[in-house]
Amino acid sequence: MTHDFFVMLSKSWGLFYLIFLFGIAVAYALWPANKEKFDRAAKSIFHDQDEK
Amino acid sequence: MFGVHKKLERNSIAFVLGVIVVASIGGFVEIAPLFTIDETVEADPDMRLYTPLETAGRNIYIREGCYVCHSQMIRTLRDDVERYGHYSLAVESKYDHPMLWGSKRTGPDLARVGGKYSDEWQAQHLRAPRSLVPASKMPNYAFLDRIQVQPDKMASHLRALRTVGVPYTDEMIENASADTIGQADPDGDLSDGVYDRYGAETNVRNFDGDMRKLTEMDALVAYLQILGQLTDLPDAPGVEPSSDTPSEEDNS
Amino acid sequence: MTFDFSPAERDAAIGTSFVAILIGVVMMVSSQSAAFTTHGAMFFAFGVLAFFGFAKDYNKPQAQPYSRDVYYDTPIKLGILLSIAWAIFGFFIGDWVAWLLAYPDLTFDAAWSSFGRIRPAHTTAVIFGFGGNALMATSFHVVQRTCRTSLPGRYGPIFILLGYNLFCLLAVTGYFLGVTQSKEYAEPEWYADILLTVVWVGYFFVFLNTLARREEKHIYVANWYYIAFIVVVALLHIVNNLAVPVSFGDTKSYSAFSGVQDAMTQWWYGHNAVAFFLTAGFLGMMYYYLPKAAGRPIFSYRMSIISFWGITFMYMWAGSHHLHYTALPHWVQTLGMTFSIVLLVPSWASAGNALLTLNGAWDKVRDNATLRFMMVAAVFYGLSTFEGSFLAIRPVNSLSHYTDWTIGHVHSGALGWVAFITFGAIYSVVPQLWKRERMYSPALVEVHFWLALAGTVIYVFAMWNSGIIQGLMWRTYSENGTLTYSFIESLEAMHPYYIARAVGGLLFLMGGLVCAYNVWKTISSSKIVGRVSTSPDGVLEGAA
Ligand code: HEC
Ligand code: HEM
Ligand code: HEM
Repeated sequence: MTHDFFVMLSKSWGLFYLIFLFGIAVAYALWPANKEKFDRAAKSIFHDQDEK
Repeated sequence: MFGVHKKLERNSIAFVLGVIVVASIGGFVEIAPLFTIDETVEADPDMRLYTPLETAGRNIYIREGCYVCHSQMIRTLRDDVERYGHYSLAVESKYDHPMLWGSKRTGPDLARVGGKYSDEWQAQHLRAPRSLVPASKMPNYAFLDRIQVQPDKMASHLRALRTVGVPYTDEMIENASADTIGQADPDGDLSDGVYDRYGAETNVRNFDGDMRKLTEMDALVAYLQILGQLTDLPDAPGVEPSSDTPSEEDNS
Repeated sequence: MTFDFSPAERDAAIGTSFVAILIGVVMMVSSQSAAFTTHGAMFFAFGVLAFFGFAKDYNKPQAQPYSRDVYYDTPIKLGILLSIAWAIFGFFIGDWVAWLLAYPDLTFDAAWSSFGRIRPAHTTAVIFGFGGNALMATSFHVVQRTCRTSLPGRYGPIFILLGYNLFCLLAVTGYFLGVTQSKEYAEPEWYADILLTVVWVGYFFVFLNTLARREEKHIYVANWYYIAFIVVVALLHIVNNLAVPVSFGDTKSYSAFSGVQDAMTQWWYGHNAVAFFLTAGFLGMMYYYLPKAAGRPIFSYRMSIISFWGITFMYMWAGSHHLHYTALPHWVQTLGMTFSIVLLVPSWASAGNALLTLNGAWDKVRDNATLRFMMVAAVFYGLSTFEGSFLAIRPVNSLSHYTDWTIGHVHSGALGWVAFITFGAIYSVVPQLWKRERMYSPALVEVHFWLALAGTVIYVFAMWNSGIIQGLMWRTYSENGTLTYSFIESLEAMHPYYIARAVGGLLFLMGGLVCAYNVWKTISSSKIVGRVSTSPDGVLEGAA
């Protein structure tokens, strides 16, 4: 494991990995089927009473 | 892909793992290569070690939080270099556990302050900075004159430092106590050993002007006087300054 | 507290008190330095106090048996009160530090009170004491309410809070005594670090366990931020604090890292402490309390998810912007700079999301100081992240680094964002927890708001000015190519700004005192409502 090897790894795969995973996260957030769930979640905080 | 994510979201453990993985990689990418950096930073065989007294002084520097007002990192910028000397090299803090680069310059950079002033100036400046520099914001450290250094403790400090990678020899550790005393007692019997173990360029003298006791003032001044003096620089300060001088380890 | 505990929990409480006493005794017996003895004595005293506290009601029947359906609010109340106490202390020390930079002799002629020792006491008290307790308390509040379930047990959260505050006390008293590792925001020594690790693992399990018991399928996004905060802080804390103690019985340890590696590890830690402590945690707070107080769901839930992952992904890469032009390899600096700039996107997504949520509720913002606290927080979050990305650009950083500009950036984040969102959350949660209709005095909330805002603005403007002047003076050349100003001249030029900053800080501190008074009167007033009005649109009719 040399310094150059690590630097190479960081500069190339580090970035690919990042872009790839971030793509997944965005896809998840924008997936149409999830919309309803998210809407419900956003409103869920108003349904809690203080004493259950 | 979607299915995997849905699960990930539903299952908090997996979610936590996701966060750990995602979050660690950036740190890994930034830090891991640096642990192999020794290959690129030219090994400097002449890099001297801190003596026990200087180590004690360094610990006082840490304890008093001098680093919250003073940096020890001269950047590769023209004005930094002209003000404070040759920009700092990676090797120079190689034995600094931890490093004291600092992040704020309420006072000037100290990376190369060693030898800039006399011992008397340094001690007096620490006791009452405004007696020498009226506009100074630096606290008074007169109490350092009243606290004595404990030489017998220094062996365990050097041992701990060796554990984390500083190449102290057995002999240095055995003689840590004697060397602590010897360095501040130029006429005593113990001073020869300091030169033997730490090199002929070591500062051996009484630092605070009071021979009667070995105080924290001695230790701190000894440390300040060694800053920037532990190795010979590749070239004289300020030779190649430009507004953005790349550092030697630059390998991008 | 004990009367809430089950018999097993009572034994655990007594047991852990004994463990603290034992640790104290072992520390005192094996101690080789005065500071270590003092800290042993603090463990001991803490254990004894806890023991008597828990033993008092040991034999009383359990007031209310544990049920998933009953929210457990005691640790939340405790955390909020501790947070306020630390706020007052931390702001006070902060302002003292500020005055010291204007008039360095405004201190006692004693080692403990010198600048280098009390400045870390300020940062620890505000970040860990004020911020940390508020995060713990609100996370317990938010996770129970959004998961519609109780915390998994009664003693666990109390243990976490007490242990955490013992850590904070060891840290702050340690600096006064001269105990520090010198790593910024990770100053406490090895034994305090071990304590924090234990406490933090406990915190992690309590939080996760609550999520596991949730009655909602989906985990509300605020909790994501809290989890990221808990998990990543654990990771950072453990790695950055790896060290070898000189001996058992000595406070001193030597960091496992040195030089460049240490610098990168430290600022990987330091920057991500900002990211996951001062940002992610408080975003969690914002994503719950702000929509709740506005009575409107978050503008875009999707956006909150994307910015969550954006922040989690990218912050970790950015730490090296603290080390521009240093001996750190060039490519690492470039990497840090690039990611810092990209970071602006998820950061502004959150700030924008918050402000767009308020769009349509501006009348409430106008009338309700609590909500206004949160709005200002979102604005300052946007400002300070913009400023951060800007400062991360190498040439800009060449001017700003080492100057007061950094301090200005820090406090636009710390005061404008962290403290404002926290005060907003405190004013939302206090009437609800103590079952009061509203805060004792809405007018005082208003007073606090304006004091805090004026203080922040004065502080930040003073530091922008002084920082830029300082940076420019350091690099100004005369015609014949020599530096124009000596360091001392730049120092003298700072004087008026240091006074202005200290005055701003004083206003901020006064605001904190007003808050403490108001909370105290709210709690001690006798007006109790049976059930807090979470009116149909969810507005807590707290401070008007
Ligand atoms: C409040 C911030 C502050 C703290 C803390 C502080 N200093 Fe200073 N220091 C200054 C300022 C401002 C100056 C410049 C004015 C002067 O020379 O006194 C300075 C100057 C110096 C100088 C002279 C540098 C030069 O090149 O002229 C030395 C050496 C020094 N300090 C050492 C220390 C040591 C050692 C400590 C810790 C025991 C310390 N300082 C703590 C603010 C501080
Ligand atoms: C009354 C309010 C406050 C005042 C007067 C104040 C004052 C100060 C002062 C004078 C410094 C030292 C600056 C220097 O060395 O030049 C400082 C540093 C700092 N303060 Fe504050 N502060 C306040 C509130 C806060 C809050 C609420 C937080 C965090 C939530 C905070 C976080 C910090 C941090 C992180 C630093 C270190 C900055 C660095 O090293 O770059 N402060 N503060
Ligand atoms: C996109 C977001 C941000 C970026 C890119 C960013 C970037 C930076 C940069 C470049 C510095 C200067 C480093 C130096 O020159 O020494 C800095 C310092 C700092 N920032 Fe930020 N910042 C961001 C948001 C925040 C927020 C929201 C806070 C909240 C309080 C914050 C707190 C701090 C602190 C405490 C420091 C001082 C560290 C020290 O030197 O002790 N930052 N940040």
